[in-house]
Amino acid sequence: MKKLIYITLAFAAIVTLPACEKFLSVDPPYAQDAENFFQTPEDYERALVGAYDLLQSSFLSLWIGEIASDNAIAGGESVNDSKGLHDLDNMTHGGVNAELRSVFRWNYTGITRANYILEHQDNIDFPGKAHILAEAKFLRAYYYFELVKFFGDVPLIIDKRIGIIAAAAVLNPVAAQKGRATRGAAKSLLGKVYLYQNKFTEAAAILEEVIASGQYSLYQDYSTLFSVAAEGNPETIFDIEYTGLEGGSYGCLICLEGNAAVGFQGIRQYNGPVYGDGNSYNLPTPELYAAFSPIDVRRAATVLDIDAFIAAQPNAASITYAIGAGGHTGYYNNKYIKRQGEIGLPDNDLTSPVNYRVLRYADVLLMAAEANYQIGNASRATQLVNQIRQRAGIPGASVNNIEKVYLERRLELSGEGHRFFDLVRTGQAAQYIPGFVTGKHELFPIPQVEIDLAGGNWTQNPGY
Amino acid sequence: MIRKLVMALLCCIGVAQVYGQTVSGTILNERSEAIPYVKIIQKSNNKPFLSDGKGLFQIQVSDLNTEILVFSAMGYQKLEVPVMGKTNLTVVLLEVAQDTKDVVVVGYGTSKTKELTGATSKVKGEDLEKMNMTRMDQALQGQVSGVTVSSNSGSPGGSANIRIRGLSTFGDNDPLILVDGVVYDSEGLNALNPSDIKSINVLKDATAGIYGVRAANGVIIVETKNGAINRKPSIEYNGYYGVQQTARKLDLLTAEEYAVIKNEAFAFGGQALPFANTNLGTGTSWQDSVFSSAPVQSHNLSLNGGTLNTRYSIGLGYFNQEGIVGADKANFGRYNARLNFSTDMSEKLKLNSVLLFSSDMRSTLPENGIGSVLYNTINAFPNEPVYSSPGTFSYMEEVSDIINPIAQMMNQYNWSTANKFVGKEEFIYEFNENLSFTNRFNYNYANVDSKVFSPLVWYGEGKYANTAVNADLESPEVEIADSVFITRGAAVYEERSTFLDLTYESFLNYEKTWNETHKVKGTLGASVFERKGQSLNGVAFGIPNNSIDYADISANTAQGGYLNNVNSWEFKERLLSTFLRAEYAYKEKYLVSGILRRDGSSKFGPNSRWGIFPTISGGWLLSDEAFFKSKSIDFLKLRMSYGVSGNDQIPNFAYRALLNGEGVYVFDDLITQGVAIGRPANPDLKWETTRQFNVGLDLTWLKVINFTTNYFIKNTNDLLFQPDVSALLGSYGPGGYPPIINAGDVSNKGWEFEIAYQSDKKNLLQTNLNFNLTTINNKVVSVPTGVQYIPGASFSVGGDVATRFQEGYEIGYFFGYQTAGVFQTQEEIDNAAVVQEGAQPGDLIFVDQNDDGKINFSDDSDKTNLGSAIPDFTMGFAFNFKLHGFDLSGNVYAALGQEIIRNYERQQPYANQLAYVIDRWTGPGSTNEHPRLTTGPTNNNLFSDYFVEDGSFVRLRNLQFGYTLPSTVLRKIHVESLRVYVAANNLITLTRYMGFDPDLGSSSVLSAGVDYGMYPQARSLMSGLQIKF
Repeated sequence: MKKLIYITLAFAAIVTLPACEKFLSVDPPYAQDAENFFQTPEDYERALVGAYDLLQSSFLSLWIGEIASDNAIAGGESVNDSKGLHDLDNMTHGGVNAELRSVFRWNYTGITRANYILEHQDNIDFPGKAHILAEAKFLRAYYYFELVKFFGDVPLIIDKRIGIIAAAAVLNPVAAQKGRATRGAAKSLLGKVYLYQNKFTEAAAILEEVIASGQYSLYQDYSTLFSVAAEGNPETIFDIEYTGLEGGSYGCLICLEGNAAVGFQGIRQYNGPVYGDGNSYNLPTPELYAAFSPIDVRRAATVLDIDAFIAAQPNAASITYAIGAGGHTGYYNNKYIKRQGEIGLPDNDLTSPVNYRVLRYADVLLMAAEANYQIGNASRATQLVNQIRQRAGIPGASVNNIEKVYLERRLELSGEGHRFFDLVRTGQAAQYIPGFVTGKHELFPIPQVEIDLAGGNWTQNPGY
Repeated sequence: MIRKLVMALLCCIGVAQVYGQTVSGTILNERSEAIPYVKIIQKSNNKPFLSDGKGLFQIQVSDLNTEILVFSAMGYQKLEVPVMGKTNLTVVLLEVAQDTKDVVVVGYGTSKTKELTGATSKVKGEDLEKMNMTRMDQALQGQVSGVTVSSNSGSPGGSANIRIRGLSTFGDNDPLILVDGVVYDSEGLNALNPSDIKSINVLKDATAGIYGVRAANGVIIVETKNGAINRKPSIEYNGYYGVQQTARKLDLLTAEEYAVIKNEAFAFGGQALPFANTNLGTGTSWQDSVFSSAPVQSHNLSLNGGTLNTRYSIGLGYFNQEGIVGADKANFGRYNARLNFSTDMSEKLKLNSVLLFSSDMRSTLPENGIGSVLYNTINAFPNEPVYSSPGTFSYMEEVSDIINPIAQMMNQYNWSTANKFVGKEEFIYEFNENLSFTNRFNYNYANVDSKVFSPLVWYGEGKYANTAVNADLESPEVEIADSVFITRGAAVYEERSTFLDLTYESFLNYEKTWNETHKVKGTLGASVFERKGQSLNGVAFGIPNNSIDYADISANTAQGGYLNNVNSWEFKERLLSTFLRAEYAYKEKYLVSGILRRDGSSKFGPNSRWGIFPTISGGWLLSDEAFFKSKSIDFLKLRMSYGVSGNDQIPNFAYRALLNGEGVYVFDDLITQGVAIGRPANPDLKWETTRQFNVGLDLTWLKVINFTTNYFIKNTNDLLFQPDVSALLGSYGPGGYPPIINAGDVSNKGWEFEIAYQSDKKNLLQTNLNFNLTTINNKVVSVPTGVQYIPGASFSVGGDVATRFQEGYEIGYFFGYQTAGVFQTQEEIDNAAVVQEGAQPGDLIFVDQNDDGKINFSDDSDKTNLGSAIPDFTMGFAFNFKLHGFDLSGNVYAALGQEIIRNYERQQPYANQLAYVIDRWTGPGSTNEHPRLTTGPTNNNLFSDYFVEDGSFVRLRNLQFGYTLPSTVLRKIHVESLRVYVAANNLITLTRYMGFDPDLGSSSVLSAGVDYGMYPQARSLMSGLQIKF
């Protein structure tokens, strides 16, 4: 009987065990909760790295800025290969577009990650915190500006103020590490934002500050400006940093640490010297090639005439490449292209160490020229533009027309993802882009699904 | 039985006094063998006794003339014997008939089939074993109604999907599989030897709710073989050897056809003709080079028996299967050892012990995806030889994404081994014949090692899969810092993971019948479950000599180790449960049962960690009613059940936000690790809830035909969903995921029929026929607010989303353009009511779904439902004939009404194509089915019903012809039985599907039915031997 009592007691204990809430409170091993994270300066630093990460989504901005403009066609394996890019190329894009949706998602993720730091900025104090917060604000401004460029006045979560001006004051003039946001980067970005707002006085002022800092100068050899070897040259104001050390998969381009644009823009099926092979995306148009003067060093540096290049090689007959069914112009983007010696580990297609020069001094000079011209300072504009022309090996010219700044901007910066937005910003898009509908195509449509997910409270951009 | 024995033993102690007269005797079975430990009750005073181990008994009775003795033993019919003055009796007990002996395991107890109130299906181990399949899930296909099994891969060791009563969720639809109480996941089933299985019972309806939060997808209870008390050891060998081949090769273009067709396509595309000479003959049949015949063999040895108070069963197994593609590169091998041991530790305490050891090894090739071996095989150019010169593989340089499949196979080194210990120690304490207390401890330890060797390879210029920089297999140099280059070399990846499940279960079982009228059964218990796993993995570069001989991290010569990398992960999850089941039966005629289970799961946050799952069921044996007077119907039962169960199969810790996203950037040219939120928190996250109603009928007709039918309605709510969320949440960065939420509803309704015929045992020709049929009507009832649909698999390369999870449709239905023939002339295009931009004569005509007068290619408004991978009907038919020692058996499976997306055609100008393109459009009136071929821009390659095929099939899965030698012959050589047989698997498949294998599943519900060139199931011819000593 005693046994029975023991067993009954034991059983009762087992049955009441479930009261043991503690048993079920399993903590994830060696993982860090998002709450209560910011306890040490290193925590802020690590969260900041996470906020920088989304910059690497820039390959899409680069593609769309070119493909949607008159500079390039989409290319690729077929017209259904990244169909969204083909739609953008043809100005037939609508509310369902995978690439636009990625731009929308990735930049908001960047904002969220920057906000994660800013929301917890008061947890602890430590030397250097101000700089970390300033970097976070810079990044948030960068991501938000991308969204505005693409989609117009979309909601900025949490904080209506961007804080880029304050950030510029705090950021170090010289980056402590290659790849960090600097004061020059923040000011240049701010100058660009002013330009997009047609605030030419403010733009000229801040951009002249960047020029006056004396920190930056034009890199003389334009033909190697976009090589890995030239990274960190004095023309660099802000690069989006990539590495060839980590591979990835087509399934998650945002997970890459390498520059996806480079491999994708490579020559399809190429078998020959100098270049590696790629997926023939973002192919420059003959019209862009023709826009350059034959003596302009930027022509060959910007646009690769593949057949001419091959013909000039000693073993031309043995060099082969293929044409993708997504389109062929005979030209490749020679700034961001897969080159031998710049291949990635472990896969060549997706991984490239080539940085995206998102803000470079030449851009600042041309923005300053444009702003100055617009506020009546044509002589300063001429001076600035001629610095660019001189490096390009073409004679100087007097800037007596804003079109000249615009043209110089195209010649200097084509292939870098600025063209579409410059055309829209300056009201020239309908003139240059076939199929462009004024009043509609200035902005891309907000992904329809995002409008639905936001509860339908947003209105779609006009015309879509 | 033991319970009763022990009970009787106890009482014996109290009757040491001698009074009255003595009666003694022997208890025998029909074969005149002694039956040990038979319980004997004197009817006069209800005193129990027990015979000894040799069936002998001696009892003192008060009156020899009037006493009646009641003999009872497990497996035998109860017998009342009036002593009638005799002092020596010979009692013969008759074995009970199969139907009443039939008990099934229903979770923490057993139930007689007759008393079941739930919808269950039982499969006997021998029916599974006969299929000669590698895995239990494959063998289960077509065996019972309500269970749909589809193959994920026909490669050796490839898994299958078991779906009980349809797809009920967007996420994990796998049922809970318990092998002797131990949870096995789909991957773990590789370790289970089908020959070790004694029986499988599938709990399909809400009565599975005894397993609460894990029961929503149904429960499969597997029991392994055990021994029998007081049997001399018997040794049995069961083995077969077979040869496998592909059951089908695709009808691809020959070199000549290819050249002609490509010239035409290039011409249409305005490009130069690639082939000046099209007279190329047959060319290379890549399929002939890729497919080979491959052996399969299985050898099982078992030893069964028992003594007076122990029983044991020992099994040893060896299995090896080579792939019909890749031979030893796609191989599966397995060793099994099993010990089932039961003993009576004392009068009241019984031990059941199970130990299963397995060691399996699987090597795999890339399969069922873009770039897999068969994908490359289909698309490889027939004009290229396998070897361009002796020892050098041809390169197929025109296309970067298609590589020589033979070279690809040669360069694959990808294998994993799993060593697994699974066991159970179960102690049953019998208080008396009514009440028992079970405590059991289950463990499942698995050690999984995998290795991938990536040699430096060269498939030709520009191929995506190259790892070397040139044909001399020179290694790429990697710049790890400014102007610092190191050699990459060959790489090896190794991973070791260990998993440990521990379960402790404790429960009381009570069973009592009053006046043979009121029967009460009860089960009350608790269960504690913990699973943990950890893994360490690493990759190392610079493997010497580019050789598999040195493919180990220890051999790496990576300079400075800079490129080498290590990683690890770890997880833990727990479940805490209490359960109660109460059953009542009135005269075995009216049956009611109730289940209540309470579960707490560490998968969910404190806000909704605990769930309660009730079930109620009932049955009515009409055939036992007095008014039931049918002569032909021997048995008729109506059943009904309704209950709630759950599904907790989501990632661990999904309720809380962790910094497990990827936050990596490059500073100073070095990869710098940061942090990022992986998944936003959802503290209210809880299990999916399935409410299931079942009504069923069991009927036996003329004693030889058993018929069962069920109708069910299964509604799943609060789906564990990872829906698209607004970008503003910031969930779409690297390593980021949307939060998992409970939203959306799915409904499954269907009919199940099972009909079995078993001829009278006395017939010379023994016939056994089984047929089952299942219909499923699957529908997504709602999706989360703001979500239109969940996108699934993509069509082609970088193409549109082709499958969806959307309200009002089947899960994973296909979504694309509907076609209406081919434009024949420009006039037809110009005069068409619907504007189709870019259309040219020979292009597919798309249907304007939204009636806006044009085909919209930049949004989804003209796309529509093109079918789904869910069959309308699945059927299984098994037959078994025996005559004079000869036996013939077979198993047919059919799935009808499902569709398959033909997605193995690379839309590349140079890719080879199926021969149907010969019937392409070539001019007005040529065809209204197949569009023109062109390398130029065309919308013909958008996802449309042109790429959707009828996936229905009927397959003879197994056919076996055997001969059992007469026992008169065998006795002389001391053999108990000997059977030889020949068998064929997948001998015949009837289908209109063009691809390799229409039996095409996917563990992800949204990519089911998308064929990337699946590794087909082999057709095998086998011969086997079964011998018993």
